[in-house]
Amino acid sequence: MNDWTIIFRSLRARLFSTITTVLMVGIAVALMLVLLTMRGAGQKAFERGSGDMHLMVSADDSALVAVLNGIFYANPPRRAMTWAKYEEIARSAPFAYVIPTQIGDNFEGVAVMATAPEFFTKFRPNPGEAWALREGRFFERSFEVVLGSQAARQSGLTVGSELHLTHGMHASGDAKGEKEGEAHDHDENVHNEFTYTVVGILKPTGGSHDRAMFTDLNSTWIIHAHEKRERAAGAEIPPTTEADLTPADRLITGMYLRLVTREGSDVASNLPQVFDQLRRDPTIVVAQPRQEIDKLFRIVRNIDTLFFAVAVVVLISSAVAIMLALYNSMEQRRRQVAVMRVLGASAGHVFGLIVTESALIGLLGAALGVVLGLGGSLVAAEVLRSRVGLAIDASLPPGLILYMVLVSVLLAALAGLIPALMAYRTSVAKNLRPLA
Amino acid sequence: MIILSTAAHDCAAVYCFPLMTPTLSEPASAAAAAPNPASPPALFIRGLKYTYPRSEGDEVGVAPWTLSLTQLELARAEQMLLTASSGAGKSTLLSLVAGLMDPATGSIEIDGQNIHALRGAARDRFRGARVGVIFQTFNLLVGFSALENVMSALYFGGVPTKEHAPRARALLQRLGIAREGALVERLSVGQQQRVAVARALACRPALVLADEPTASLDPENAGVAMELVQGVCREQGAALLCVSHDPSMAARFTRRESLAELSSAPRIADDRRLV
Repeated sequence: MNDWTIIFRSLRARLFSTITTVLMVGIAVALMLVLLTMRGAGQKAFERGSGDMHLMVSADDSALVAVLNGIFYANPPRRAMTWAKYEEIARSAPFAYVIPTQIGDNFEGVAVMATAPEFFTKFRPNPGEAWALREGRFFERSFEVVLGSQAARQSGLTVGSELHLTHGMHASGDAKGEKEGEAHDHDENVHNEFTYTVVGILKPTGGSHDRAMFTDLNSTWIIHAHEKRERAAGAEIPPTTEADLTPADRLITGMYLRLVTREGSDVASNLPQVFDQLRRDPTIVVAQPRQEIDKLFRIVRNIDTLFFAVAVVVLISSAVAIMLALYNSMEQRRRQVAVMRVLGASAGHVFGLIVTESALIGLLGAALGVVLGLGGSLVAAEVLRSRVGLAIDASLPPGLILYMVLVSVLLAALAGLIPALMAYRTSVAKNLRPLA
Repeated sequence: MIILSTAAHDCAAVYCFPLMTPTLSEPASAAAAAPNPASPPALFIRGLKYTYPRSEGDEVGVAPWTLSLTQLELARAEQMLLTASSGAGKSTLLSLVAGLMDPATGSIEIDGQNIHALRGAARDRFRGARVGVIFQTFNLLVGFSALENVMSALYFGGVPTKEHAPRARALLQRLGIAREGALVERLSVGQQQRVAVARALACRPALVLADEPTASLDPENAGVAMELVQGVCREQGAALLCVSHDPSMAARFTRRESLAELSSAPRIADDRRLV
């Protein structure tokens, strides 16, 4: 016999109220964990995707949409730009790089980005961190594919695997509603004529590019040109080659730009001028990815502050529920407390038992909350991934878990103070009088 | 004093032809165990006075109700019946003896220790270790098994943890409780009474206070229960102070006292003041 036996018997005796209060605490803790994790991880994931680029150019409707589609693979960009436009922009200012990108195809739901080799040699997915291969090499020829770490896991492809791409960015069925794009106004179909080979798998970067696979622009142009020519001919034609491409085939959906900076610095003094200059071109949209991300998070933060407030309220009400449950039980437990006192328990001991019991409800609730929170984060991460195209780390930071557990135990212990005080002040003589 | 008794074990009957003890100051001899003169009495009350707190509605000018006891001594292992009519203050006396209330004046010594000289947790610990209480309604810890009820007394009485289970088991076995793991609320009334007795005696107290121990039982069960209480107290060398207004109890005790006679204070009409 020890204090824990007494506490567990008491919790068992009021099983229903124990379960409901534990559930309440659990839900509040889970809600807070998910919100706090999502807030941190979401922003981190966003910050990572844009890497070290200063500007992003696309023909999308707005800067935010350009960033979401062109960097985070939310949807295939709706409008394309010509190669001439690319060359015009690349010449317009002293850029460290201008990397063309074309997004629109997929392999079993994994987005495919067609790009130039500079994407791997010049663009850094995280500032200061270059791309690293886990396996194989970067693409060197047409119809070679490099997989992002998550894309490799999701598709199950390995170096040497061969694959055919599907037009549109989402897997069949899922993509039906997404195909109104002007650059891709034909039906979704599998590009069976051309076989791609996986030549490399990238190490994780923690950003959106982990979910994509990469190939060169020529291959993409060729498969689309071939499709177009075949449809025009109305019959099977010999495979299209690079020589068959016309300027109308050489389309891109975005550009990643970085201005020349001083060694070791990320700041480009001419960024505002270049930004303004590019914005004068009405056919394109220019975005500063970091600003767009901040803008997005300002909107999101208002909502998540509201959610957070709700979670705080739920946590506090769960503490009140614990207090009420214990308070109500004290009415029935006065006699039990009095008996324990007669058996030799001091008033302080009984006080401690009740506070511990209350804190234990908080601890059990927090444990449940952590489990629910982990599940919730996974679900939220999956929703963000499939709806917004945002890859976030669904794991809960241990520091946050510890903090939440401590907060809920402390709150629960506080909630136990009033009932414990009632127990402390229970008159033994009065409460032991015969019921008769 | 003439006592005819047989060995008082489980179901053995005890036949007592009680005689009133002549004076309070004379230590009464125990029914089964002779007191050791070298060791202090189980209970020694002297000059006890307790004044009930005034409550609303009391008439001004009327003297406050008091309970007073000049002297009362209970030798080690002695058994005594204290009869009192309703409202005579017997519950108050038991609460005072158990150290649950403080007297205005006087002292109550249990096993040589003035319980009111102890404060707070020390007094609770002392009560847990040296005083066993049997309640009319048993007051078992609901939600706990029979074994846990007995073990809880050992725990709060400060008995080392490793002794809890063996001692509780032995005691329950002695009292004929086979389902030691059953929740007390699932036991029969008779069995609950046995668990209550086991719990009161678990710490081998010097003094057992029994407050109307048979009031919840039918006459047949009451007889069996009293035999059990008295028998186990005797076995363990614990003194028994039994408070009851049940006339059938008198035959079971060689020493009987009436609270009214012990008390020099005006009688209390009812005990509503304690509710």
